[in-house]
Amino acid sequence: MTYFPEEVLEHIFDFLSSHLDRNAVSLVCKSWFRVERWSRRRVFIGNCYAVSPERLIARFPRVRALTLKGKPHFADFNLVPHDWGGFVSPWIEAMTKSYPGLEELRLKRMVVSDDSLELLSRSFPNFKSLVLVSCEGFTTDGLAAIAANCKHLLELDLQENEVDDSRGQWLSCFPDSCTSLVSLNFACLKGEVNLVALERLVARCPNLRSLRLNRSVNLDTLRKILMQAPQLVDLGTGSYVHHPNSEAYVKLINVVKSYKSVRSLSGFLEVAPRCLPSIYPICLNLTSLNLSYAPGIQSTQLIKLIHHCRNLQRLWILDCIGDKGLGVVASSCKELQELRVFPSDPHGVGNAAVTEEGLVAISMGCPKLHSLLYFCQQMTNAALITVAKNCPNFTRFRLCILDPKKPDPVTLQPLDEGFGAIVQSCKGLRRLSLSGLLTDRVFLYIGVYAEQLEMLSVAFAGEGDKGMLYVLNGCKNLRKLEIMDGPFGDVALLMDVGKYETMRSLWMSSCEVTLGGCKALASKMPMINVEIINENDQMEENPDDGMKVEKLYLYRTLDGSRRDAPDFVWTL
Amino acid sequence: MAGRRATNSSSSSSIDSSNSNHPSLSQPNTDLSTDLRLGLSISTFHHHHHSSSYSREQRSDWPPIKPHLRSALAGKGNNLDHLPTFFVKVYMEGIPIGRKLDLFAQDGYDALVRTLGHMFRTTILCPDVDRVHSKDYHVLTYEDKDGDWMMVGDVPWEMFLTTVKRLKITSADIC
Repeated sequence: MTYFPEEVLEHIFDFLSSHLDRNAVSLVCKSWFRVERWSRRRVFIGNCYAVSPERLIARFPRVRALTLKGKPHFADFNLVPHDWGGFVSPWIEAMTKSYPGLEELRLKRMVVSDDSLELLSRSFPNFKSLVLVSCEGFTTDGLAAIAANCKHLLELDLQENEVDDSRGQWLSCFPDSCTSLVSLNFACLKGEVNLVALERLVARCPNLRSLRLNRSVNLDTLRKILMQAPQLVDLGTGSYVHHPNSEAYVKLINVVKSYKSVRSLSGFLEVAPRCLPSIYPICLNLTSLNLSYAPGIQSTQLIKLIHHCRNLQRLWILDCIGDKGLGVVASSCKELQELRVFPSDPHGVGNAAVTEEGLVAISMGCPKLHSLLYFCQQMTNAALITVAKNCPNFTRFRLCILDPKKPDPVTLQPLDEGFGAIVQSCKGLRRLSLSGLLTDRVFLYIGVYAEQLEMLSVAFAGEGDKGMLYVLNGCKNLRKLEIMDGPFGDVALLMDVGKYETMRSLWMSSCEVTLGGCKALASKMPMINVEIINENDQMEENPDDGMKVEKLYLYRTLDGSRRDAPDFVWTL
Repeated sequence: MAGRRATNSSSSSSIDSSNSNHPSLSQPNTDLSTDLRLGLSISTFHHHHHSSSYSREQRSDWPPIKPHLRSALAGKGNNLDHLPTFFVKVYMEGIPIGRKLDLFAQDGYDALVRTLGHMFRTTILCPDVDRVHSKDYHVLTYEDKDGDWMMVGDVPWEMFLTTVKRLKITSADIC
């Protein structure tokens, strides 16, 4: 083998950004392993308990950007108790000693304390980007520390976090010397912000491209901000409420009309639908529109708006739009790639809902569609078969029929054939969520056809262990399997325990697995943490092995059982 | 999240509402009804975990939407269309006493003309279509923010709403 000096190797490896490529490179020989290891700058850890911070640092000593995910996905739906875990503090503490050059930190579903944010802000002089998604545990005091101390901050992006607003004024903590911001998103904060401080901050950051405001920012401030920052590409409005007859509204119309740079629009956290026509002039430039948090806009108003959005690639919307509105989307938005339709009335039997008709219309009108999240009143096999034929390019297909176990309303059959058509047609499908009445047959189809499937979410589906086995045996690329309310038990769980080492995690709640089954699994697989969540206070000291396990979460790990598990989590 | 919510419910709803005086824990109590209440409140603590039989009402884990969206939708009922009314004065030529009309209650020019026609018991003409010059028919005009009197119907409805100050129904033989 030709010998390259290590500097040359390092230079070449700098061009490799994909983890897969870098992992492959590491396996070639010791020398390449060593060079690659020192040159890896970005690391993604999909489960923070799969490796310890110390192991990360030992393996990759010079990381500059880290992504960490904590709680399992079903934590989003209240299935994981508070205090379950996912604490970021050990990571930050370890990195302060070993990664002085840390620049970026991205966290999802983790618990972040104000102390951690303070430590972060003081320990990494080159820190540039903080992205927190669905995290909790911090207040605006922590944000104040970030604002005040991170001298080169480019990005502060807070998405759907649970943040307690304390009485401080965190936005005012950005010093006058802070002029580098490129992206600022605080839409999820519930409290007031200092509007003057906000205007001044925007005015002194000429590189600002993305700005998402919270509900406390009124229309007048928005207008002033738009005038100061004519270069925004991504805008999330706060409160979009004004009397159409007012002077301020007329001024806003004039500002918005000429605001040609915006490509992505979101927010409208509070909106007077009569004010919506003011954004018609910029709709043609939009590639992304998110109205899923905008309550109370009627279908007719949404339809009028969508008519103008001919270049939309991504649309997130509430089901108030209706099947008819989706028909308009289908005829207007030919470039559509991603569609999410959320339920506006999660518990009612509402009229505000969409059905299979809307989805079929979309599939006919939008050939580029590859990512779907669709909450609907009902679905038919015929519709799914049509959709599968029209859109063979789905990579993500998530369907949620609001009434679980609902069969095809026309034929009263389960939806096995419909989903079967989807997995058979969409050869690149990586993520799938099922709903409706489903037997084991759908899992057979998934096991046979869904070769690229990486993540499967199942609720209220199946008839017995066979279903789960079809999936575990068939889907070679499966990384995450999450099941709620299913008939799957120990037989399915224990049939192929080696499979779990090829996956990131398995979640099963309200299924038929027993304590004994989980114990057996844990004893066979030392590299898997088998965690039982048990919130029942009345648990006896020595529960019977036949006891049904309420919630099981297992995941592969290099570092054994975690030491921060609360009382209600048993690691077997 | 779930744990926090359940704790709140057990401390504020079941126990307190049924116990007027003493917290149930402080007295050694052979009263079975207290034990039953305690038992009930604990089971409500876990109700959403043990219901594998599906119930349509208020499961916190179904449908699977994120907490932020869930709370945004819950608050939806409170977001009435802000400033839900927009009353303007309407005079009919020759009648000194005017009326008031909520423009927000009309969804466009057609509705406006119909409503005014009923209110004033006359026929209001559309300026482009009906060319009748007669005192039996009327046309609709409005005063805009500049103080000018204009014919209703020339600009889009939403734009009209931003400039209208008041309305006047005038006799068709003038226009």
